[in-house]
Amino acid sequence: MSNSILESESASGNNTADNTAGDTITNPAGSEPATTVMSMQQALNRALDEVLAENPKAVIFGEDCGRLGGVFRITDGLQARHGAQRVFDTPLAESGILGMSVGLAMAGFHPIPEVQFDGFAYPAINQMVCQIARMNYRSRGTMPMPITLRVPSFGGIRAPEHHGESLEALFAHVPGLKVVSPSNPHEAYHLLKYAATRPDPVIFMEPKSRYWQKGEVDAARHDAGGGSTTGAKVMREGRHLTLIAWGAMVARCLQVAELAAEDGIDIEVLDLRWLKPIDAEALAASVRKTRRAVVVHEAPLTSGLGAEVAQLITQSCFDTLRAPVERITGFDVPYPSGDLEDEYIPNIDRILFGIQRVLEYKRG
Amino acid sequence: MAEISFPLPDLGEGLIEATVLEWLVSPGEQVERNQPLVEVETTKSAVELPSPQAGKVVRIYGGPGDKINVGEPLIVFEVPDNTAGIVGTVPKEEAPKRRVRLSAVLDED
Repeated sequence: MSNSILESESASGNNTADNTAGDTITNPAGSEPATTVMSMQQALNRALDEVLAENPKAVIFGEDCGRLGGVFRITDGLQARHGAQRVFDTPLAESGILGMSVGLAMAGFHPIPEVQFDGFAYPAINQMVCQIARMNYRSRGTMPMPITLRVPSFGGIRAPEHHGESLEALFAHVPGLKVVSPSNPHEAYHLLKYAATRPDPVIFMEPKSRYWQKGEVDAARHDAGGGSTTGAKVMREGRHLTLIAWGAMVARCLQVAELAAEDGIDIEVLDLRWLKPIDAEALAASVRKTRRAVVVHEAPLTSGLGAEVAQLITQSCFDTLRAPVERITGFDVPYPSGDLEDEYIPNIDRILFGIQRVLEYKRG
Repeated sequence: MAEISFPLPDLGEGLIEATVLEWLVSPGEQVERNQPLVEVETTKSAVELPSPQAGKVVRIYGGPGDKINVGEPLIVFEVPDNTAGIVGTVPKEEAPKRRVRLSAVLDED
């Protein structure tokens, strides 16, 4: 087996962004950027189609991924185009889906498994933590696990219990796993293509409430501003306060920023994108400028990723912060089913309240 | 509205076809999940197939005595566009509503 494409970047739980990879593709001088409007579903489908075409070792599988094309249509048409050897259905057994991924990765494949809903990931956590995350470490780098696990994640579609969760902190806590979540179709296309070419296991958390949202995708380049695919991204510049979010909460924070502007408050919105490793430099750069930070996530407050983000900001910006970093999150209850979702997921007013508390804070 | 096709599933281990005995629903009818759709006969037994989902029946394939191969279309449903896959609904994009207003005297140093 050739290991040439399988060299691992890192087996450790390095907590700073790896900005070494130059992934920003710039257009040839003078050419117009060719953008296409598509939904996040279509962007993900296109990315997977291209990954299959470019890498003969890539295989896609999961519950209903093959003939049906996925319950969210993300793998629609891929089996017809690439064959049932490369895009196929599995039994309803998440532990088996991830266990098979381990074996395929050992044999030189790049598995791209899907766990149909985030709440179904729990039975697979043994394989993820005990095998996938540590195989490279255990084998002294001779057995990397190039696995891209797609997980339709978070709430917002009024689904029953176990069909909406927010598991990023659970995944991010495991050394050896990388975690990323796109916030719009453009991010989805590029981050999935990037993740699916990594030599390391990446948990790709798709915000299912944003699947149908359309947006412009510039397939030729990821960050027009010259940022890195491996880091966070400023989605809106502002002077007074930084809102930090990922996945579906980015769009909500952008709405909040628009409303805050009506009140004369100029808010920066940072899409964290990578939840492991976290781009600590981008957090520092933004909050050094704004001096105030609010982090927003759907997951429960206690031991949520917001705590990690708040600590990284405090570490780098303690002297300039005007107020403690505020966290606006879900509540410390099991992620509720659809009927109670609106009460649970941070809404615009809860985020505005958090911003107001930070703005009012008086030191000493 | 969108259409979803339901192909004839493998009703035993490795069966390749089934014969329609009687349709229990007809086009235009609204059916519920698990409602019996059709009685079919295989080489092993005669069975009633329950509906995999709720929806309006658009088309049915095959009349009494007709053979249908496993994997070929059996019935097509019409479902609302906002059905999010098998569960949930597509979120509506609404103009943001607010009750909280911000007030702050910001030092600009």
